[in-house]
Parts: sequence; structure tokens; C-alpha cells
Amino acid sequence: MILDLGDDAKEYGRQALRAFEAAGGDQLVQQAEAKPDLRESLAGPVLSELGAWDLDARTDVDGLEAAAALCRSAGYWALPYPVAERLAKPTDLDVDGLIVVADIRPSGVVAGLESTWAAVSLAGVRSRVAGYGAAGPGFVAEVELSAVDDNGAGDVALGLVLPCWTLLGMLDRALELTIAHVSLRKQFGQTLSAFQGVQFQLTDAEVERSGLEILAKYALWSIATDRPEATDDALALRMSAIEAAEVVFRVCHQLHGAVGFCDETTLSWLSRYSQPLRRLPLGLSATRDELTRRVGGTGLTGLFS
Amino acid sequence: MSMDFEMGQQAGDLRRELRDLVKTHVPEHYLGAFTDNPADLETAQQFCRTLAESNLLCLAWPEEFGGGGASVWEQTVVREEMWAHHEPRGAQYMGVNWVGPIIMRHGTEEQQRKHLPPIARGEVIWCQGFSEPEAGSDLASLRTTARRDDDGWLVSGQKIWTSYATMAQWCFLLARTSKGEKKQQGLTIFLVPMDDPAIQVRPIRAMLGPHHLNEVFFDDLRVTEADVLGTVDAGWSIVQDVMSFERVGIARYARCERLLSAAPAVLGDRWDDLPAELRARWVRMLTHCRRARLMAYRVVDLQSSGRIQPGDAAAYRIAVTKLDQDSAEVLMDIAAEVGHDDPRAKWFLGEVEDHWRYSQASTVSSGSIEMQRILLSRALLAGAK
Repeated sequence: MILDLGDDAKEYGRQALRAFEAAGGDQLVQQAEAKPDLRESLAGPVLSELGAWDLDARTDVDGLEAAAALCRSAGYWALPYPVAERLAKPTDLDVDGLIVVADIRPSGVVAGLESTWAAVSLAGVRSRVAGYGAAGPGFVAEVELSAVDDNGAGDVALGLVLPCWTLLGMLDRALELTIAHVSLRKQFGQTLSAFQGVQFQLTDAEVERSGLEILAKYALWSIATDRPEATDDALALRMSAIEAAEVVFRVCHQLHGAVGFCDETTLSWLSRYSQPLRRLPLGLSATRDELTRRVGGTGLTGLFS
Repeated sequence: MSMDFEMGQQAGDLRRELRDLVKTHVPEHYLGAFTDNPADLETAQQFCRTLAESNLLCLAWPEEFGGGGASVWEQTVVREEMWAHHEPRGAQYMGVNWVGPIIMRHGTEEQQRKHLPPIARGEVIWCQGFSEPEAGSDLASLRTTARRDDDGWLVSGQKIWTSYATMAQWCFLLARTSKGEKKQQGLTIFLVPMDDPAIQVRPIRAMLGPHHLNEVFFDDLRVTEADVLGTVDAGWSIVQDVMSFERVGIARYARCERLLSAAPAVLGDRWDDLPAELRARWVRMLTHCRRARLMAYRVVDLQSSGRIQPGDAAAYRIAVTKLDQDSAEVLMDIAAEVGHDDPRAKWFLGEVEDHWRYSQASTVSSGSIEMQRILLSRALLAGAK
């Protein structure tokens, strides 16, 4: 068994982390929020330099792992660009990226971009994005769809899994920032990290984060090996990712205290920009309902049943 | 190298072989060796002999000690399949899993000759004399004392929560032999026979089952140099070694997953009539089973490659013990929907009820969840220093 990404993918992820930092790091999302039309020019060049659009996440296992590592690094910096969605683009449609959408009020983090998009529903119905509604928080826009075909069942798993890697990167960073904060901040004459009440909250967050990490790897491998249950695995991952995000961000906000809400604190940006990843295409309850409906009484099939 | 979650052909074959053996040799309603029915203990004894005859009992042991030299993944399969089916090896699992391997590492040749063959044949039961009334998680504070005299030592004191003490032939006993600067110093491991009249065992009836917990009293138990494992006063390093064998611990997720997976078939057509919210909780628990299993595999992988750090196993242990309890609650809710007069469901109801009772201890036994949280938080915060 090999339970971690290959060395090349991990190294690529590290290079991406450094490149995003050099390109502006935490400032990127703040600049993009001020001027959403700048998203492409803020993130596009560094992604091109990294060769992001040369990655083949569809047919090359190494490319898929590198794509996952890139998404994680993008999440770490809350990169204001739909990297995962671009990397999930279908090969047989002339588009720049793919978003998985709900049947009701289909939406994506595509506001302010010039790119062309395909959309796929959880049932595998594919469309082109033909128009955009007004932009909401987190660069989310409702989209108008023009039907293409219903051949997208194979697109759904990748379209769900890569954004979970982005969210994982956000949780990595949020926890890292929180550990640094409680190790510095003093109250009652000692650092917050000396209080067991603080320590145990950190462990709650880490159990969720590390559990999500290994599930994300499993779901990625399920896609890489063309397993028939890859979409169920992707939904199981997504359900866990949303649950993990709830716990991790709750803990991180609590332990940061009031400063965690301030714009000068990175946590506040990570937290608010995690929202689209947690709500689209479906939130926690709807994701769980969808998974429950799909697996019926069979449950999760897999290697060990 | 890209990721690969396949365990390999050998591990798959072993899993099938073990399931066949369980199906053939273990009664359908078996709930482990420690019930009030003596036949259950006999089932475990016989199953150990069957495994030993097939060279499966000590599969994980090195070949030089008569084991199968199995890969870590084959060892994982054994752990999973045995725990999933209520540990049909009975108390012997402890001898095989860590008492034997610890004696291999720290025992004299004479101790190895004396103790390893009966463990390998599945003939002997060991108990662990660690916890005391005043020393649970804080084990090094124990008070059982071995006083030195011309003939060796006399051990006096009390142990508690000692599993299998009523049926064990040997005890892996930790006692204080001197007072060191630190409380971890001055402790010694003794290998002592349980049939000595200076030892008294008192069972503690408990919701976990009738034969799980006991008190053990030592009243001037005579022990000699030959009974010492390792070095006098240096027993704490052996305790640490024992803990490392228990890092992955029992494969709780395997039983959770087996029971959860069985539920729809038990309910049959009525499964779809369950409240949607309950079926959603069931799916969530299956996902948590997968999560715990994969976290366990990560620990096994890190341990086998020598890269493991103290905090690595703790996150898994927290996740799997919580899974044990959370899945028990979901299973009890599902069981409440099953008719008690349905003969097809009798085994399920029995297993679920047993699982719920036993799971109550999962966050307490073998290193409480609080100790795991302390280990994990130390590891997290160490990175910030």
C-alpha cells in the first residue's frame, strides 16, 4: 500500500506554495475582493508559470496527484481563483473548466472571470454556462445553463474531489495559524497553549483535518483507478470535508478570539472564503441525503468489505 | 510512486481464509469468550488450536521464533477479521500480539524457551498487571511493591481492572522495586504464575460482560531473579515498548463496519421505511468507519517504516474510539426498529447490544481518550516551538 501522494506531486505542491506566496500570498484574496475583475490577472500568471494548465488530471495518474497537490496549496493561501474547477475540465468540450452544480439555482465561484465553463449536475447532465447572474460573496454567481448532453456521470467525481483538496489546504492553514496564535498569546500569565481546554480543542480540529486528508487521498485514488464507486467515494469525502470544516473553523475562530474576525487576520479571510466550497454544489445535509439515496442499503463498497 | 490502496493478493487471500475458518469453527451467535457460557471459552481455546495448526496464530511473529513472518498488512487483516468476529482467539490474542513479542525482545533464553511455545500453541492465557486503584492513566504512580530479601523479592499490593485474571495462567506484572528520582524509575516487570496461593483474584461484575474486569491481590508473593523480565528497576522502558505494540490497538472499526453493513439485510424490506435521518446517520457512520480504517493504515505504514512520531497514533485512537461509541448509538436506534420476535434478527440484536455495552469503555481502556488528546496536543504544539 502507498498511502501518500507521489514525491513529484508533493514537491510540486511545495513549489506552488512558495510561488503563491511570492505572488502576493495572503494579499491576493484581499486584492481580489476589492476588485473581483482582477482575479484572472492576480492568479493567472503564477498558475501559468507553474504549468497548471498542462496538468492532465483526467488520464494521467501523476497529473491527477499533482492537480490535487496544487489545489491544496491554492487553498492554503485562499487563492482567489477556481483552480480545482479549471483542472476538472472535460476533455471533449471546448471549455476552460467544469463546475458541479445543483439542480436548483446552479451556481459556481466563477464571477468576474472571462473563462468559458461547462457544468454537470450530480445526475450527470452536462451543460454549457451561457450566462451569469449577479456576483455574491466569495465570487459566487448563479449561472444560466444551456444543455449539452447527459454523458457527465464520469465528470462528477473529479469535479467534487478536487475542491475538497482546496478546502483541505484551507484547514491546514487555519490550524497552523491557530497553533501559532495560542503559542504566542498570553492570558493569566501563561500562553493559551498551556490551558488544557485549549489543547483539547486543537485535538478536535486535528482529528477532523487528518481524517479528511486520508479520505481525500482515498477518493483521489478511487478516481485514478476508475473504480465504479468513485462518485460515492467523492460524496463521502465531500460530506466529511464539510463536517471537518465546521469543526476546524469553529475551533480556530474560538481560539483566535476577537482578533480572528478582523480583516488584518488571515483566519477571517480563510473562514469566509471557505464558504463557497462548503455550500456548493450542496451543503452538508443535502450532500448527506444525496449519498444516502445513492448507496441505498448497500452502503459504501470498497476494498475491504 | 503513485498512491495504491490495494493491500495485495496475499492479504486478500488471508482475509478469505480467516472468514472461512470463522464460519466453520465459530458459532453464529458467538459474542466472545467471556460470557457466562463455558462453551464460549472452549470455542476460543479450540479456535486458537485450529489457527495454530494452520500456522495462522503467530503469523506476525518472526520466523526465528516459529512465526509466519507476515507482512504488516497481513497482520492488519488478522487484527481486523478477529475483532470483527468478536475475537474468537479469546484472551490468547494478548499473548500473541504483545506478550510473546515483548519476551522475544527482553526475555532471557530460558524465559523464551519457557513462555513462547505455549503462547504459540494458543494454550496459555496472560493477564496484564498494570492498573491500580490509585494508578490508572498515571501508571507510574503505582504502589504494588516488590521488597528485596535474600531469596529474591516479596510482592504485595493490588491491581484492578485486570482483564482475564480469572482464567489466566500468567501475569505480566509491573511493580515498584526501588524509589528513583522520577516515579518512572525503580519499576520492574515480573512474569508470575497466577496459580500461586499468594495471589487472589476477585471478579468485578460489570456492564462490559461478566468476566472482563477483576481485582488481583498480591500478599507476599515470592518472585526470584528468574521471573524478572529485562533489568531490575528499568521496567518503564518495557512498558513503553508494550505501548508501542498497542499504538494501532484493536481494530474497532472492523466490528463497527460489519454490524453497520449487516443492518439493511436484517431489516429487509423495512429498511427503506426507516426515518431518512437514521439512514443518513448510518451512512455517516460507514464513512467514519472508512476514515478510521484509513487512519489506522497510516499509523501501520508509519510504524513499519520507522517514521512514526508520538502524536501520529493519537489522532487515530481518538477517531476510532469515538466511532465505536457513535456507531453503537446508531446501531441501537436501528435495532429498536427490529422486531424482537424475528428469528433472523436475533443474532443482530444480541451483537448490537453487546457492542453498545462494550463500546462504553472504548474511550477509557488501553489509554484513555484524554491521554490521547494530551499526546496529540503536545505533538501539535511542539511544531510551533
